[in-house]
Amino acid sequence: MNGTTTVSLVGVGGQGILLGAAVLAETAMAEGLDVKASEVKGMAQRGGSVLSTVRFGRHVYSPVAPHADLVFATEMLEGLRGLDLLAARGTLVCATTRILPGSVLRGEEAYPEELVGAAADRGVRLMLLDADELAREAGDLRAVNVVLLGAASPVLPFSQDAWDRGLAAAVPAKILDVNRRAFALGREAGARQEVPR
Amino acid sequence: MTPGFAAPSAVPPIGYTLCPVERALFLSGNEAIAQGAARAGTGFACGYPGTPSTEIVEAIAGLDGVRAEWCVNEKVALETAVGASLAGVRTLVTMKHVGLNVAADPFMTLSLTGINAGLVLVSADDPGMHSSQNEQDNRNYARFAKVPMLEPADSQEAYDFLAEAFALSEEFDTPVLLRTTTRLSHGRGRVLPRVPVPLEARAYERDMAKYVMVPQNARRRNRLVLERLEKLRRRAEGSSLNVLEAGTVDFGIIASGVAYQYAREAFPKAWFLKLGMSHPLPHEKVARLYQSVSRVAVVEELDPFIEEQVRALGLPVVGKEAIPADGELDPETVFRALEAFVMRRPPRRRRPVMPPALRLSTPPTPAPGLPVRPPVLCPGCSHRSVYAALRRRDLAPLGDIGCYTLGALPPLLALDSCLCMGASVGMMSGFNKAMGRKAAAAVIGDSTFFHSGVTPLIDAHYNESEGLVLVLDNRTTAMTGHQGHPGTGLRPDRSQGPVVDVQRLCEGIGVRCTTVDANDHKALDAAIKAELETPGLGVLVALAPCVLMTRERAGTVTVDDERCNLCGLCLDIGCPALAPGEVAMTLTEACTGCALCVEVCRRGALVHEAADKGRET
Repeated sequence: MNGTTTVSLVGVGGQGILLGAAVLAETAMAEGLDVKASEVKGMAQRGGSVLSTVRFGRHVYSPVAPHADLVFATEMLEGLRGLDLLAARGTLVCATTRILPGSVLRGEEAYPEELVGAAADRGVRLMLLDADELAREAGDLRAVNVVLLGAASPVLPFSQDAWDRGLAAAVPAKILDVNRRAFALGREAGARQEVPR
Repeated sequence: MTPGFAAPSAVPPIGYTLCPVERALFLSGNEAIAQGAARAGTGFACGYPGTPSTEIVEAIAGLDGVRAEWCVNEKVALETAVGASLAGVRTLVTMKHVGLNVAADPFMTLSLTGINAGLVLVSADDPGMHSSQNEQDNRNYARFAKVPMLEPADSQEAYDFLAEAFALSEEFDTPVLLRTTTRLSHGRGRVLPRVPVPLEARAYERDMAKYVMVPQNARRRNRLVLERLEKLRRRAEGSSLNVLEAGTVDFGIIASGVAYQYAREAFPKAWFLKLGMSHPLPHEKVARLYQSVSRVAVVEELDPFIEEQVRALGLPVVGKEAIPADGELDPETVFRALEAFVMRRPPRRRRPVMPPALRLSTPPTPAPGLPVRPPVLCPGCSHRSVYAALRRRDLAPLGDIGCYTLGALPPLLALDSCLCMGASVGMMSGFNKAMGRKAAAAVIGDSTFFHSGVTPLIDAHYNESEGLVLVLDNRTTAMTGHQGHPGTGLRPDRSQGPVVDVQRLCEGIGVRCTTVDANDHKALDAAIKAELETPGLGVLVALAPCVLMTRERAGTVTVDDERCNLCGLCLDIGCPALAPGEVAMTLTEACTGCALCVEVCRRGALVHEAADKGRET
């Protein structure tokens, strides 16, 4: 709304959602945009669902919005949950990673498998990619968040230079190279994606 | 006319009980509160001394059937009181106005959890600051916490209102604030004693959704509090404590507490709305006063508490532009303040505008059919072994605030309460005292222990409480992201300061204390067993650094597919590294090798191999 783009990042505590959000926010700032971000942490490292929202545009007022234009999910169940966050005709970039919640581990519930169908039903543009594999290829499984950013980068209005500056600003120096590689691998994979409608 | 010497009204003020003089007692307000509380079945009373509240606990200490204690401070007093209330005993807790600031942490959340047996908190305010550092008006706390408030106006009411307060507390599942002021607490008047109130048994029932205030439970309770407030308002409308007294002139006064007496004496011919239950304000009763008279004043000491609410109804009223907003009132001050107003031309009549019903937010509906993903204790977390040991025992583990609060979630479900920082120890103290045995244990983290667990431990020692305090010492403030605290000496700039040793601190207090390696599951279990079998109060420090800080593997656990029959017993400890596979359990790479699952497996299907120099199980 009002020329403001809303991006939500969802995943499981410990998957680097907050860092992913920081890279996105820094990149938007490197483009000279106004940015507001909001995160719910506290229990973020303890394996619970995590949600972080980044909003950017010429001037951003509210730090939160009811719906996002783009949702990043570092885990499939969280991606499915994240469909509710998406505005009409939004895009979901989702890792094929599965992290089973306690109730599924204990056999009380089944892990839901309907992501592709549910996304199609809602007219959501879905990019699914094996981000775990690409992160491992980059050199660290924990770079899944940045792989997804790379994959979605063609959809976002940022130059490669802005992404570079965003990564450098948000990522600690000793893991910057791994994350640069992760971003590049994600970007390639994203460009290859056939996007089901 | 000098107001103090106005002819007494022919009609005795309502609220007085005219009684045969030979049966009447002559009690201070504080003594009347004590006797009224005892008559209402109070079994436990506690507080911290503070003028003008002090004599209540002193007076109740000598009465039959009441155990009275001085606590180390008002916060601990309220938490101890909550423990006794949960255990099923009607409880009175007393403090002066500023004391409620100290007790505000448990007080605000107690409004959400509610109580079991009735709990009445007496706040003794001190208008005029006879012996206080400020003049805060604690009626604001009733609004702040959304709890009912009673304001007796004389000793007889102080006596009578206690029974009403306890009844309200139990009927509406809420703490009740009973506000007195210096002139009531330290004034004396006739009191006609009444027959004791019959009590119904209120056995403790575990109810995590009600007593464990983690966010998802607290959100639900908060909505109940908002609904409760409207039910209480309807009660205030019909309550015999809120009386419309007819006068003979076109002038009405709204007043509560001792200010009512001043106003009544100054204006004997006026109409009165006397509020004994002054929060929530009965709007309809206020409107009815305006149907009878065209000029209305609010006479209250300190803040325009009632006045602002009347104004919000769109009704013309005289208040703090005439009545002093600081200091004490008296009949003459009230008379002088309102004398001119009584003669003035009445304001144009207006209809009250009743506030609309509160709208509540739409709670987010979780996507149907999707498994929720609550936060969990990490694989290898040492807290898990404490809960595994506690779950085997007939014990109410009263919790506190930190990562270990996650022990309340499925499948562990190992905590009975979580009220506020440091509440577990005081609550255990009151609970066990009311139960007469070690029925509860306190579970508190190291950082929370330093925050506000030390004072209730001193209190429990001084008051000879029984129980086991488990300090889950993971050497950090883990939940918020591993900050330092006095037990580690670490500062925000990562420099190292002096360290306070928990065990030596406890021993310095005079409390028995043992430290045990929390990763040594058998030793921990044995230490808990030994402590529970020893009479008195003991602290067990379950020590193991947070697994997120050490990132150490204590070895590897493997599954013997032949022996594992997927019974699921190991899943009860809620470790996210364990998952049932096709033929046997499987362990994910998140496993740290803590081997707690090996302990709980009855078939020897899980095998631990220690790290190079790790422990052997």
